[in-house]
Amino acid sequence: MSEETWYKMLAVSLALHIIVLGAFSIPIKWGSSRKIDLSSAYSVNLVGSAGNLGGGSGGPKVAAQSKPEPKPDKPAPAVKEKKVPPSKKPQPIQKEDDAVSISKKKAPPKNKATREEVDRLEERIKNIRKKTDYIDVAKAGSGGSGKGTGTGAGMGLPGSGGGSGAPLDPAMQKYLLDIYEKIKNAWNVPGMAQKKDLETIITIKLRKDGRIVDVNIEKRSGNRVYDESVLRVLRAVEPLPPIPSSLNTDSLEIGFRFLPGGLS
Amino acid sequence: MDVSSADMYTGGIIGMILSAGPMAKAVMVILFFFSIVAWTIIFMKYRQYSRTEAEGDRFFRAVKDADSFKKLISVYRDSQDNAFYRLVLAAYKEVTSRQKDNPGRIHKDDMPGIENMLRVAISDESAKLERRLSFLATVANTAPFIGLFGTVWGIMDSFREIGVRGTTSLAVVAPGISEALIATALGLATAIPAVLAYNYFLGRLKRILSRMENATIYLINILDK
Repeated sequence: MSEETWYKMLAVSLALHIIVLGAFSIPIKWGSSRKIDLSSAYSVNLVGSAGNLGGGSGGPKVAAQSKPEPKPDKPAPAVKEKKVPPSKKPQPIQKEDDAVSISKKKAPPKNKATREEVDRLEERIKNIRKKTDYIDVAKAGSGGSGKGTGTGAGMGLPGSGGGSGAPLDPAMQKYLLDIYEKIKNAWNVPGMAQKKDLETIITIKLRKDGRIVDVNIEKRSGNRVYDESVLRVLRAVEPLPPIPSSLNTDSLEIGFRFLPGGLS
Repeated sequence: MDVSSADMYTGGIIGMILSAGPMAKAVMVILFFFSIVAWTIIFMKYRQYSRTEAEGDRFFRAVKDADSFKKLISVYRDSQDNAFYRLVLAAYKEVTSRQKDNPGRIHKDDMPGIENMLRVAISDESAKLERRLSFLATVANTAPFIGLFGTVWGIMDSFREIGVRGTTSLAVVAPGISEALIATALGLATAIPAVLAYNYFLGRLKRILSRMENATIYLINILDK
């Protein structure tokens, strides 16, 4: 075999490999090239702490937030059908269904609460734990500006809460906002997820130093790449800022709801 | 890690390779190199064998038509270099060197010498045909192990990560393992074509060599006439 064909065949072989590798990457690359930078459009929706429900008389805290369209499977109704009529809520902006709350898990009802109330509360707490402990990291049109007011409103509500659950104090709010900000900025929605209705719900457990000690996928979106991107971003942002000492807590559980954004 | 790593991850196989650890990357580079060389050899050998077989067909056609050695030589005079041409050439050289002292017919005593020369020529040709084929066998045998090594290394990393993070959550461990498994996948992807090609070429080589043996018998017969 002469040498000239050797080189020719090497070139053929190289071309074959490049084609095969390209075949693996092209469809996805094509998708990512259409990726839109969502970072500026993300908003983090906050709903008040579930811990406040403890008192029985505690008002629901629904963060004010602007969201382009409400999602069909909102867990939030459980929160909303509270005693406090929605009209009383000092929400500057339309309330957010998809949003989320941070749970403080213990909330023993006060004795003065009636039996009925206790039952209801328990059910509600269960519901809330299951479904609503999430923070929405979705895209929203005016999210950036709405955030500040939203959390402010959430804080204002628990004034009447008599439970042992502490309402969100400003330090907590600030801390959570920092976390959401960080995650939101690090997260890049996979290109092919843009047009799909995907939702991944994840709860993470934080140690005092900001390390993530546990990641729990509550709900998979069904799209592997999308889920992976979410897990990736959680790994990428670690360590999160340490929990401020003023919060007097050793660990914190936070839920996130990742939506590709209201592009559909 | 920053945003770009999440970005890379969405790039399918390529992204996963790029985000793998250094050892996994080294393993994958080696496997990729092996794969390229193996495919180069596959293409080379395919062409070489196809040509040789075509030349064999041509030789048998010519040798059946020819009624004397001289006629066969005249057919091959302007042929380009190939295995069967070299076979005829070896016979021709031997014959002419023996005819130098006593031109004319070939002696019966000369036949074993010519036969030996042809045998040498065949073994030369078979060495040429077999050349580099052994690399395919090497790739077929070692590539899965190299890939496995990369995977084992990656899983070791993953387990260390569990220790460092203090969590056994699948979400923490799974991506690392998935990355590690790419090495095995690449090893298999490299080895499988090499195995197939090696066995295929081995069969073909056997056929070609037996045809060459037949060709020498034809040559000797035609010299005997």
